[in-house]
Amino acid sequence: MPMVDVRYYDIRCVRGEVTQVDIDNGVIESAGTSFFDKAVIRALGPKGWGVLTRDHVDIDSRRDLDTLVEAAARLAAVTEDPLDLADAPRGVLPVPSLAEDPRDVDLEEKTRLLAGIEAAARVPEVVNTRARYTEGIDQVRFLDSSGNEYSYEAVRSGFSVLAIASKNGVMQMGSERDHTTTGFNLRDKQDLGRKAGEVAVSLLDAKIPKGGPRRAVLDPELAGVFTHEAVGHASEGDLVREGASVLGGKIGEVIGCAGLVIVDDPTLHEFGFMPVDAEGVAVERTEIIRDGILTSYIHNRETLAAVGNGIPGHARAEPGAPPIVRMSNTFIENGDATYDEILAECKDGILLIGSRGGQVDPGRGVFQFNAEYGYLVEGGETTDMVRDVSLSGEILSTLHNIVLLGNDRRMSPGYCGKGGQSVPVSDGAPHLLLESATIGGRGE
Amino acid sequence: MIGEDLIDRVLRAGEHEADEVEVFYARGQSVGTDIKKGILGTAEESEAWSMAIRTVKDGRIGSSSTSDPDRWKECLDAALASGRLATPQQWGGFPKPAGITSSASTADEDLVVAVEDAAAMVGELLAGAAEHPVEVVGGGASLARTYLMVANTSGVLYGMDRTVASVSLETIREQSTGYEFDASPFRAEIDPRSVGEQAASLAARSLGGRDIETGRYDVVLSPIAAASIIGQVLLPALSGRNVKAGRSFLADKVGEQILDESLSVYDDPFAPGFGSTTWDAEGVPTRRLVFIDQGVLSEFAYDLKTGYRYGERSTGSAVRSGGEGPGIGFHNLFVDGPREKEPGDEPAVWIHDVVGAHTANPFSGDFSVEISNPFWMEGGNFVEPIRTAMFSGNVFEMLTSIGGLGKDTRRVGRLTIPSIRLNNQQIIGK
Repeated sequence: MPMVDVRYYDIRCVRGEVTQVDIDNGVIESAGTSFFDKAVIRALGPKGWGVLTRDHVDIDSRRDLDTLVEAAARLAAVTEDPLDLADAPRGVLPVPSLAEDPRDVDLEEKTRLLAGIEAAARVPEVVNTRARYTEGIDQVRFLDSSGNEYSYEAVRSGFSVLAIASKNGVMQMGSERDHTTTGFNLRDKQDLGRKAGEVAVSLLDAKIPKGGPRRAVLDPELAGVFTHEAVGHASEGDLVREGASVLGGKIGEVIGCAGLVIVDDPTLHEFGFMPVDAEGVAVERTEIIRDGILTSYIHNRETLAAVGNGIPGHARAEPGAPPIVRMSNTFIENGDATYDEILAECKDGILLIGSRGGQVDPGRGVFQFNAEYGYLVEGGETTDMVRDVSLSGEILSTLHNIVLLGNDRRMSPGYCGKGGQSVPVSDGAPHLLLESATIGGRGE
Repeated sequence: MIGEDLIDRVLRAGEHEADEVEVFYARGQSVGTDIKKGILGTAEESEAWSMAIRTVKDGRIGSSSTSDPDRWKECLDAALASGRLATPQQWGGFPKPAGITSSASTADEDLVVAVEDAAAMVGELLAGAAEHPVEVVGGGASLARTYLMVANTSGVLYGMDRTVASVSLETIREQSTGYEFDASPFRAEIDPRSVGEQAASLAARSLGGRDIETGRYDVVLSPIAAASIIGQVLLPALSGRNVKAGRSFLADKVGEQILDESLSVYDDPFAPGFGSTTWDAEGVPTRRLVFIDQGVLSEFAYDLKTGYRYGERSTGSAVRSGGEGPGIGFHNLFVDGPREKEPGDEPAVWIHDVVGAHTANPFSGDFSVEISNPFWMEGGNFVEPIRTAMFSGNVFEMLTSIGGLGKDTRRVGRLTIPSIRLNNQQIIGK
C-alpha cells in the first residue's frame, strides 16, 4: 500500500450502550437503552493530522482500515503546521473490579431505586423533583501503526437528583449527584435525594449576598471546581503550545502559596479514571504544582514534543471525537488545618458550598464559578444562609491568596466540556481559605 | 439497506408489537479545518448515521437509538422494553400526513462539503486577523450537510436537507483575548475575513484596560452577551414541560406584562436559520409562535407528549439533539422590538461577552458572571477598555425596563438578537 505520506496512524473504536432512566415528579418519563459504535481514524501526514470519524467500522478488516487511513492521509495533505510525536511509555492498567455489575440489575429495579431517591427529595414546599440515572458501558479498542494494540471496558453508573422549592413567588433549587466507575451506584442513596430537597427549601429564605472582595472559605466540592478552572485548564499542553495559557513559560516559577500541591491523576479509581490514554500512552500521576511552584504541564504526545516540561498520557476523547489534552482526576493535596481552624481564621467572610459549574478564559487568566449556596461567616461562626453567589479571580494571583489548606480532601464527579467534547472527570480539594476573593452577588 | 428501506422495515416490524411506531433518521457529512500555531493544523472529515425509534403502546412511550444499522432489531426491542416501564399517559396518536404548504429554506444548495473550501475559509480568517498586531491561538472552519427524516405508522414520511457553514477565531495579545465567530445555513452569508478581523480587533483594543469601581452603571449587552444570559434563563421558562412541572418562573403569568413593552420574543420556523423547518421532530407542522408580545406573555411551547398529558396542543416545538429523544425546543427564536434609540448613544459600559453564563439560576433568574472585552462606550464608540469585572443581576427583573435595542441584530446559535441597553446595573470591580 502506498503510504509514504503517513508517518503514523491510529484507530480508536468505542462501541457501547447508554442506559438512562428519567423520572419527573413521580412520572417515569423514559427508561431504556441506546447503542452506539463510533470510530476515529487519525493519520499524521508530512505536517499535521488528518482525522476521519465514522460510525460502525470493522477494525479487524485490513482492507477497510487501509482505505480509511488513505482517506485520512488525503485530509492530512492540506495541513501546514509541522508537528512531531514524542516517545511515551506504553501500558494499560487493570480497570477497577465492579462491586456490582450494573448489567446484572434489571431496568425495573434501577427504575424503582431511582424512584426512591426522587421521592426522598419531595419534602414539604418542594414543588418539583426530577432524577436521572445514567449508565454507560464502553468497549474501547485501539491500534496504531507502531504495533500497539489494546482493548478495555469502561463501566460508569450514577445519578443526579434535582428539587425545586417555591414560596411566595420565589423559586430555588437543590441538586445532588453521584457517579462512579466501580459498579452499580443507586443503592442506599435516598439521603442524597432528601438533601437536595432540604437545600432547595432552606434557600427560599436565604439572603442574596453583596458583591465585592471578601475572605472566602471554599468547601471541598467548590474548591475542586476552583482547582479545575483556575489551574487545570491553563496547564493543558495544547493551550500552552498555542500561546493561549497564562501558565505558558512559567515552569519553575512560584505561582502559589507554600505547601500547595496540585495533581492530575488518571490512575485513581475516581470518575475521571482511564486505564490508558486515548493515544495508547500509559497514564501516570502528574504533579502540576509542587510546593507552590509550577512543575509540569499535562500533555499528549504532540504537545510534549512541542512544549516539553510535563508528562504525557493525558489525551482523552469522547466516543467518535479526536483525542485532545484533558484533565482526569484533578485535586489539591491535603494541608494540615482543620475545618474549625479555617473558619476561625476566616473570622469575617463567606463560606461557599457546592458547585453550579464554572468557566475559564485561560489566555486572559480569568475564571468564574458558582456555588450552590453558602453562609456568611461572622466572628469565626457561620450565620445567615446565602444564595446565588459566584466567585471570580485571576489565575496568576489567586493561588497566592490561599492562606490555609484543610486536611479533609474529598473528590466530586462531574463532566467537563472542551472543544465540543464532554468527558467524565472528578475534582476535589480540602476546605480552603482564600484571602480577598471577588464575590459576585446582586445584594446591595 | 441504509435509508428508507430500513425505516419501512422498522415500522412494519414494530407495528406487530406496539400501537404506533416512529423513526427519526439522520445521516450527515461534515468537514472541518482547525488552526494551530496560526496556520492550518488539523483537517477532519466526519460521516454520521443515526436512527431513533419510539414506540407507543397503551399510552406507554418507549424509545431507543443506534448508530449501527445492523443493530436495528436490538434497538427496536430496547424501545419496546423501555415502553413497558414508562408511566402510561394520555396519548392521541402520532400526526397523520398534513398538507404542508408553507416553505422554509433549510439548506444551501451551493454549499459543498469539501475540505478545500474549509481550508480556504481558514486562509481568509487569518488574513483578516493579520490586520491587527495579535497572535492567533485557535479557531477554524467547518461545513456540514445533514439529511433528516421522520416517519411514523400513521403515514408521515418527511425529509429535508440542512446545511451549516461556520467559522471562529481566537486571538491574544499579551493577556488580552478576543473571540469571534459566525455561522449560517448559507455559505455565502459567512465572511471569514471580517470574523478574523473582528476577533483580532477585540484582543488588540482590549489591551491595557483599567479597573472599574464597584457600583451601578448603565450597560449595553452585545448580542452575544445578551444571548448567553437570556438563553440560559428565559428560554427554559417558555417550555410547556417546565411550566406544567412547576419549574418555570413564568408558569402563572400568561396575559401579564412580564418584560419591557418594547420586547417581543417569537419563534419563526419559516425564517432562514439553523432551525428552519415546516415540520418538527415529531412530524407536526410548525407555525410561528409569539411567546411574548410587546412584553406580554402569551403562550408556551409544547410537544406531543406534554401536550397530550396536560390537555394542550403541540405547538410544533419538538426538536432533537444528539441521540436524545425529542424534547421541547425552539426553531429560530427572535428577541425583537422597535429600534427607537441606539443603545450606545448615551455613555455606558459595553459588555461583549460573559464567562460562566451557564451558572445562572434558571429558576430564579439570578446570575453573577465575569465579563469579557468590556469597554467604556460614548457616542456609540468604544473609548477605553475595562480590565475585568463581574456583572450581577436577575434576568427577569432587568428585562422589565430596557433602554433601547440596537440595529446590530445577529444570529447566536438558534437565537437572533440585537444589543440591549440596561440602565442602572450592578458591576463588581476587583
